[in-house]
Amino acid sequence: MSQQRSSYAVGTGLFIVLGFAALAYLATQTSSVANVHQGDSYTVDTQFTNIGQLKERAPVKIAGVRVGQVQSIELSPGHDIADVKLSIDKRYDHIPMDSVATIFTSGLLGDQYVGINYGTSKQWVAADGTLTRTKSTEPLEEMLGKFFGAGGVTDNIGGTYTVTANFTNVGTLSPGAPVKMAGVAIGSVQSVHADPVKLNAKVVMAIDKRFNQIPDDSAAAVFTSGLIGTQYVAIQPGGSPDPLKNGDEMILTQSAMQLEDLIGKFLVNGSSSDNKNAGNGSK
Amino acid sequence: MNARFPQQNNVVTQSLAQIGSCGLFLLTLLGAIPRSLRYIRETVRQVWFLGAMSLTIIMVCGLFVGMVLMLQLYHVLSIFGGTSASGMVVALSVYRELGPVVTALLFAGRAGTSITAEIGLMRATDQIDAMEMMAVDPIAYVATPRFLAGLIAMPLLCCVFCAMAIFGGHLVGVTWLGIDNGTFWSNMTAVVDVRTDIVNGVLFKSLAFGAVVSLIAVFQGFTTPPTSEGVAYATTRTVVASSIAILALDFVLTAFLM
Repeated sequence: MSQQRSSYAVGTGLFIVLGFAALAYLATQTSSVANVHQGDSYTVDTQFTNIGQLKERAPVKIAGVRVGQVQSIELSPGHDIADVKLSIDKRYDHIPMDSVATIFTSGLLGDQYVGINYGTSKQWVAADGTLTRTKSTEPLEEMLGKFFGAGGVTDNIGGTYTVTANFTNVGTLSPGAPVKMAGVAIGSVQSVHADPVKLNAKVVMAIDKRFNQIPDDSAAAVFTSGLIGTQYVAIQPGGSPDPLKNGDEMILTQSAMQLEDLIGKFLVNGSSSDNKNAGNGSK
Repeated sequence: MNARFPQQNNVVTQSLAQIGSCGLFLLTLLGAIPRSLRYIRETVRQVWFLGAMSLTIIMVCGLFVGMVLMLQLYHVLSIFGGTSASGMVVALSVYRELGPVVTALLFAGRAGTSITAEIGLMRATDQIDAMEMMAVDPIAYVATPRFLAGLIAMPLLCCVFCAMAIFGGHLVGVTWLGIDNGTFWSNMTAVVDVRTDIVNGVLFKSLAFGAVVSLIAVFQGFTTPPTSEGVAYATTRTVVASSIAILALDFVLTAFLM
């Protein structure tokens, strides 16, 4: 009876050992722990204006090779700047003091990591030292906004005054489109309506109160950002000494360029012989 | 027993009553753990019978699951030229879902039914009553050791299953289908995270499934009518109830953990 019991104990023990061996195999050979040799490391401080999607334990790479990981990410008290502490392997202790720490993305949509590009200084970053030169991430919205020419205008509810303008054709101008002066956004389009009396389009614009010196004979034109971008209202300042006030109307306006008109003009001018024949035919 | 709710003979109330009794039985089992430490040899013996004796089926099934998964993935991924990711997908799907769930289903089929049948027969042949006569607590001597053995054995079996699945995937992918060996391992190690996949997926899920299967098996064994027909019915009910509970719990755990 006791012999049977000891054989159960031995068998059970072997089973448990086999189970743990399988677990150790899984954990070390097939997981990301296999890649990381966490030796001694030292901490380097950095500051970023925008960390994007950077997470703790994200890799720190030099020339694409992993040299450490992000230790902690915190908001610097009193400022809108992120304090990021990097933990770098002690083997890589020859990082110049003027190196640049940048937040990169692996591939197009992958995880973000911190890349360090060496500078030229002969002094190295010490433990608990700081890398002062950093480059933050570019948020997707700002990049797209730059490409399409729109965006970059914050809503300043209550801090704006309204000005109207009438256009014969607003093209694809829609509420929310920016109002720009000298290429810089100073307000946005509040509404676009068809005027039933004047039979043209009435555009109401909200302009930031800081820009209250716009002459009242300025012209409003509907331009397109880039070749096929969104349309916006550009204010071309005039020379009058009186500024625009809340509720004023801008008299000088230039409508949007219509693609069909351009093509029509090109076709009409290009085939002048047809025109003559048409004229003769009506006799 | 049902003082407040009138006895009704429809499926819904019967199932609810079963679930309720099972929950209360779990509390009884847990309460009997201190007393069952006297019978630690019994627990060790049960780990042998439930865990080590299931190794054959677990290892063979693990091997075949890994092989089939790699085969299917290869044919689909080769349309996109993404066969280098097949090792990674096999590892993730086995660690997170297939490993715990399939191991639990096999465990319910093999070990769960044996627990239910054994306890049911002990009741039918009055062994439980004899124990009570001898002032041996049947819950502490019979039920809790088997429950604890299931808890111990399941995660270990799941680890063995996952290791065999990876081996099977490697066998089919690298040796037979010609995926590069280095790519197979490097893609896998880059993506598999110890905390999310192995601890949450393999260990924690299989522990939860082990608890559920053992609980249902022991409960069915103890509450069946002590006849041969009752035992047969209880055995099938163990498998059915365990399977439903495993898959429902899998969904809940995945939603919370991942």
